[in-house]
Amino acid sequence: MKVPVEWLNEFVVIDVDIEDLAKRLTMRGLEVEGIERITPRFTGVVAAAITKIEPHPNADNLSLCSVNTGKEELTVVCGAPNVSVNAKVPLATVGAELGGGFTVGKRPVRGIESYGMLCSEKELGISDDHTGIFILPDEIAPGTLLAQSPIAHDDVLDISVPPNRGDCLSIYGIAREVASTLHQKAKLPVFTLTAGADEKVEDHAGLTIQDLAACPRYILKLIKGISIRQSPFWMRRRLTRCGMRPINNIVDVTNYVMLELGQPLHAFDFERLAESRIDVRVAGERSTFRTLDSIDRPVEPGDILICDGSGPVAIAGIMGGENSEITASTTNMALESAYFNPFSIRATARRLGIRSEASLRFEKGIDIDNVGYAADRAMFLMHELAGGAVFSGQREIFERKEPRTIYITYSNINGLLGTHISHEAVTRALRSIDLHVMKEDENGFTISIPNFRHDIGETSDVIEEISRIHGFEHIPDTSPVTVLKAQKLTIKDRSLNTVREYCLGTGFFEIINFSFFSTRDIELFRIPDDDERSRCVPIMNPISRDWGVMRTMMMPAVLKSMAYNINRGAKNLRFFEKGKVFFQDGPRNIREETLLCFALTGKEKEYSWKEKYTDYDYFDMKGIVEGLIERLGANCEFSPATEPFLDQGCSADVIIDGVRAGWTGSIRDDILKAYEIEQTIYCAELRFDIILQKGNLTLQYKPIPRFPQATRDFSFFVDDSVPIAELVKKIKDISPLIVSVGIFDMFRKEMRSVSIRVVFQSYEETLTDERVNSLQEKIIGEMTNIDGISLRA
Amino acid sequence: MDISGLREKIESEISRIANADDVKQVKVSILGRKGIFAEYLDKLKTLDKDKRRDAGKAINDIKTWADQRVGELEKQFEEIERRKRQAASRIDITMPGAAPLFGRKHPITLTLEEIIRIFSSLGFSVAEGPDIETEHYNFEALNIPSDHPARDMQDTFYINPGIVLRTHTSPVQIRTMEAQLPPVKIIAPGSVYRCDNDISHTPMFHQVEGLMVDKNVRFSDLKGILTIFIHEMFGPGTPLRFRPSYFPFTEPSAEVDIGCVICGGSGCRVCKDTGWLEILGSGMVHPQVFRNVGYDQEEITGFAFGMGVERIAMIKFGIDDIRQFYYNDVRFLSQF
Repeated sequence: MKVPVEWLNEFVVIDVDIEDLAKRLTMRGLEVEGIERITPRFTGVVAAAITKIEPHPNADNLSLCSVNTGKEELTVVCGAPNVSVNAKVPLATVGAELGGGFTVGKRPVRGIESYGMLCSEKELGISDDHTGIFILPDEIAPGTLLAQSPIAHDDVLDISVPPNRGDCLSIYGIAREVASTLHQKAKLPVFTLTAGADEKVEDHAGLTIQDLAACPRYILKLIKGISIRQSPFWMRRRLTRCGMRPINNIVDVTNYVMLELGQPLHAFDFERLAESRIDVRVAGERSTFRTLDSIDRPVEPGDILICDGSGPVAIAGIMGGENSEITASTTNMALESAYFNPFSIRATARRLGIRSEASLRFEKGIDIDNVGYAADRAMFLMHELAGGAVFSGQREIFERKEPRTIYITYSNINGLLGTHISHEAVTRALRSIDLHVMKEDENGFTISIPNFRHDIGETSDVIEEISRIHGFEHIPDTSPVTVLKAQKLTIKDRSLNTVREYCLGTGFFEIINFSFFSTRDIELFRIPDDDERSRCVPIMNPISRDWGVMRTMMMPAVLKSMAYNINRGAKNLRFFEKGKVFFQDGPRNIREETLLCFALTGKEKEYSWKEKYTDYDYFDMKGIVEGLIERLGANCEFSPATEPFLDQGCSADVIIDGVRAGWTGSIRDDILKAYEIEQTIYCAELRFDIILQKGNLTLQYKPIPRFPQATRDFSFFVDDSVPIAELVKKIKDISPLIVSVGIFDMFRKEMRSVSIRVVFQSYEETLTDERVNSLQEKIIGEMTNIDGISLRA
Repeated sequence: MDISGLREKIESEISRIANADDVKQVKVSILGRKGIFAEYLDKLKTLDKDKRRDAGKAINDIKTWADQRVGELEKQFEEIERRKRQAASRIDITMPGAAPLFGRKHPITLTLEEIIRIFSSLGFSVAEGPDIETEHYNFEALNIPSDHPARDMQDTFYINPGIVLRTHTSPVQIRTMEAQLPPVKIIAPGSVYRCDNDISHTPMFHQVEGLMVDKNVRFSDLKGILTIFIHEMFGPGTPLRFRPSYFPFTEPSAEVDIGCVICGGSGCRVCKDTGWLEILGSGMVHPQVFRNVGYDQEEITGFAFGMGVERIAMIKFGIDDIRQFYYNDVRFLSQF
């Protein structure tokens, strides 16, 4: 909310500088987000009184104005029609600057010397009005430098009002808080509303309310004989500085009083109200209603409607109707000042998509006890600005609401805050914001809550007020008094730490992608319809189609991240991502699962003077997967891949204890192409939750053998029909003394030749040559017994 | 027995030593099993007792001398050899080293780990919840009523009516309190979602929620704990302030600001000339939230806080565009 300090000054004496004021408000919970400094664009302009007006001897449309600046009497040539004797006007004296490099000089106009220039608002740069000379308010003394007056000078506070503080959506509401910080009391404007007309409102207008819960208070006032015109500068200035557009004197007054007091008002052309009556009704059926912006709005049952004798004339609290709005020819006006049910207004405003300044205030709840004062204030200003005669009295229906009371103890307060605030300080703080103590005992007190504080309903609300006024900075920092408990670290957390360490150690860059992707990714990856990954959770209101559903795979986004980097010149990448995927298991059943995703492309390094690097292949990725799963205390096997998006032949399913825990391999190049990638990507996606179930992080020491190992190397020809993993397993099974079986060479001529190193180890004795030799014979015997394996000589 | 000439014989052997190999040969020829001394010592056995002693002593004296002499030469030539080897294997030590392969954690992970480390050290345990939440856990149980502006479709991703992508990690508060009795002392890190995408918003980001509930937990405790956190996270001298604010699920509510790390508090574009940066929201748990989970709000109190991980990372590392976290550009990632 924008608050001009010049306006605020009318309610409270601001005896601190603006920065200090801003800080006080911020520390009260009314954050000042910025201070707009309004400074004049002109210099050398003073207020002057016109003492004489004579026609210009040489020009019909010019006049010669004699003006008094308090110090001297000057003659100025003027072309505007709106000057009159005794009017106060801005005089740009000789040497004055009016912005844009324009300097006022002494110069002859049609043969008569002009000692300066009388200015319009536009010429002073304070508004766009150029219809005439800017007539200054009477109270400005001749000689006043206008650059230093509020006309051109102000500070506007931009205050972020918390959503629960509707009472601060007015200058007066802010003034109440300011007054409390400055140990003052905010003052309401003093005025006397006199009825100039003989007529009484009750003789000329009717009022009924159908449902007092929807509208517990409604006041109708009348004024006749007004003339619609532009509001004076001071009012337009304040409206503009608050971010509102001036329209005409009547509409401006309704907006002005709303900004001033927080009470939204509505003005009807009284002549256009059928049967001169207002009936506040709750819509019972659907209809449409044309609002003053010429849009037909749907009305739903429950909306509050303001009706005249023939039908709706306004949607209550939201917008008036075209059929009753104030026009340039309006002479008799009816003013509405009312309190509408906040929930009802919010529902209607939300449905219609209209968030007006009025609906905003009604939604948050206004001061029901201030409805009458605001109506009087508006009538007073309208009469001032538009003339006419105010009818005496008013139509009013008012379902009075007793202020709430709350009992609170001092130990409640200091116990929750951790403070030792004295009883006196507590009640003084509350009194400063109009929360008055009604009853007191030695433990606590009962206070009454004024009706404008819709946010205070229970003791914690009151404690909040006390803490705010006491000042958070005066509440100590303490250590909680609590039972010591070791913080828990779950298996998942510990495993995740292991995963991250592993990835760090193996050179992977961790990436993070959004949890959404597109069904197009599913199509590109050729995921069949009956696969669970096709059962995506859709988002009703996605930001874009690319992020239309929750992801069921992480690889598509990882590919995009790789493409992003490849397009920017990085060819060698190692990426790792941990994240969630989401499956629509049933109509109301959504499952979340954690995946680990790896991808690598290019080679370890582009070049080195020391070593030669070769391109990554299937086995680089497989080794990463094997190592990780082993590190998490599980064992995995690999079987030919079943995934439709992988290259058959160099891809595999990852199996742990017979359960499929993921896949590894290279993505088909036609799919890569769709992601604009032209180099091979090896990757793996692992289901973390399955690895967790199968894994074991318990570390158990095994004694280091005291006896030496023995090693034997073997070379076999192995047919392609025999998987090497099977051969290795068979050798291991031959004897518990075989502790390691490794492949140290493999080449292919007519047949695969595989060289195997077997390590023998006993925990009980030094193995003799004879013993090892007999095992060696056994290995050769068993291997060559298998079809497709023969010993290489 | 004649031992005159032995010394000369030895001397002539030693004098032909010209390199390390010669040293080894001469060692054998003099001191070896079939060397000169061995020969003389054999002869000793033929002498009678008295003569044997005198001759033995004389031979030993010569042997001690020879040992020492050969030893010196051995060291001398070893040193020469070592220098030769070294000269042969000389390298340019200014050539680049072979950099090991080493991965990087994402800056969000680094920041999350740091936040978790600090609160873990203060006795908070990590709790988790689902990303796809019911409106009940995300809003109602947190005292955010159905007509609250936060529930507009503009802010919240809806899966279907009643199911949303969580807009904050606060639902974990509710889930935790429903599952256990006080005392509760948790932090809940995780991804959260809002319909926004610009230089300062991404549709997904990360938050850490904190909750402490027990008998006699005070607002001053909240101040104490968060002050420790900020001084650990941003350095012990970091200025901070607690400022009254509004959240539906806490009361009193406080926003915590730290002195702007860019300008040091004098005012700049980043802090919008205020000298302060908003870093987290906090407050005492609202009694309605306790009632919603069936806790006796007369008996217990608590505080809660929540912070945006990206925001903290941006301030800590000087990152000016939140979207950088999600491009996964290696030129960005390799800086952490």
